[in-house]
Amino acid sequence: MADARNARGDTVVAVSDLVEEIFLALRPMPAAVANMLESASGVGARALDALAPLACSTLGGLIVGAGFVAAPGVLVDRQFELAWWKRFDGTPNRLIADLDPTSEKFFDYTRMPWFTVPRDTGQRQITGPYVDFLCTDDYTLTFTLPVRRGGAFAGVVGADVQVRDVERVVMPHLRGLGGRAALINNQGRVIVSTNARQATGSLVRNPDIPGWWAAGAQPATGDGTSLRRCGDTQIALLVT
Amino acid sequence: MSPNVRSAMFAPLDQNGRVETVIARLVDAITLGLLVDAEQLPSETELAGQFGVATVTVREALMALRQQGLIETRRGRGGGSFVRAPVNSARTWHDRLAAVSLTDLRDLGDHYAAVAGTAARLAADRASPDDVARLELAAADLRSASDTAVARAERLFHLEIAAAAQSPRLTNAEAQLQGEFGGLLWLPIGHGGGPGAAQAHAAITAAVAANDGERARAATEKHIFDTVDRLTDLRLSL
Repeated sequence: MADARNARGDTVVAVSDLVEEIFLALRPMPAAVANMLESASGVGARALDALAPLACSTLGGLIVGAGFVAAPGVLVDRQFELAWWKRFDGTPNRLIADLDPTSEKFFDYTRMPWFTVPRDTGQRQITGPYVDFLCTDDYTLTFTLPVRRGGAFAGVVGADVQVRDVERVVMPHLRGLGGRAALINNQGRVIVSTNARQATGSLVRNPDIPGWWAAGAQPATGDGTSLRRCGDTQIALLVT
Repeated sequence: MSPNVRSAMFAPLDQNGRVETVIARLVDAITLGLLVDAEQLPSETELAGQFGVATVTVREALMALRQQGLIETRRGRGGGSFVRAPVNSARTWHDRLAAVSLTDLRDLGDHYAAVAGTAARLAADRASPDDVARLELAAADLRSASDTAVARAERLFHLEIAAAAQSPRLTNAEAQLQGEFGGLLWLPIGHGGGPGAAQAHAAITAAVAANDGERARAATEKHIFDTVDRLTDLRLSL
């Protein structure tokens, strides 16, 4: 029993460390973006190219994409803009997304949790797993922090991590737990699990994960089920 | 395009030819059909040479065209700037529709129903309350839409369904099918301008929210086959 508890504790710490490392990589970005937005009168979409070195310095490890997404009205020449970098054939490149509101393919990102949660709560946010059809069509976790300019929300900085890479890193931990183990987000969505009938992307409906989360996400055990939050993250470990 | 027209289009500009002039030239070429949909533009350097302006001028012009949705630029291998012919007149829709055989139209509908129907079934299993809220927003988009906004609302709704299914592959297949025949399937013409499509989106969303996969699939298939039927009738009337 004690061994099992220790193993679960080690997994919780490993997942928490993985998340904190990603947010640590993002830490310099909000201030850098805010400085840039404040230093010039009227920053346009093109000027965001200056963020390339900083954004690209965060790429590596699990992080496959990073950058800044502007809140509408922040830039002088575009209502919507991403300044987001990914590696193409090894070289970092700024993504081009269709952000012309009159276009057939326009996608309003101000509906996405990676944008709305930092905007509405001022807190960091882990979004996903979700299909990122704005940029890459990959199954993604997106980590975002709010950017403020003169006290007002100006957008988010963030990093993308692919779910398959998280699986590769955490699966050895989950396999060592015995039983059926899953990492889930605060909606109960499975990130990775050792149970075929609880596949990545599926929702855990029992126990009630959103309810447990709303009640403070205290460690819970019972009925052969153990539920623990991974540090200060929006990810929990469920063992059944 | 004849070689003459092409060389006239890219003839050097006089030296006060600024960004606006390059924009005007390219906009004319695209709207007049001299540059056709999906055609790749020469590189910035080549265009700059042909127009006799600085590369930075061409770059600014291309950015403006991108914002107008007249070109799209893709990175990486096979990248470059590609023409996106505007979809803003019934004429172009008719032309596009006239170019498609009924055989191919039916087959596209069948394929689309296979992808979108399965996506809807899985979305009913896997959509979180957040996903359902976004689907409701996307369904509402169509109620207030006209012209290109209809196509945008249709595309977005079906992409959101595939994303709610948590399937990158189905999302990708959805996006590819949406582009077939120049996005014919979701043009406003297939809707008869009626409220049927908005009702269909509401029905699909309700089935997903109720975790009813079979109802979500059936409502999606009906929505697609109804659209194909309307397009077929329209095609027969041309």
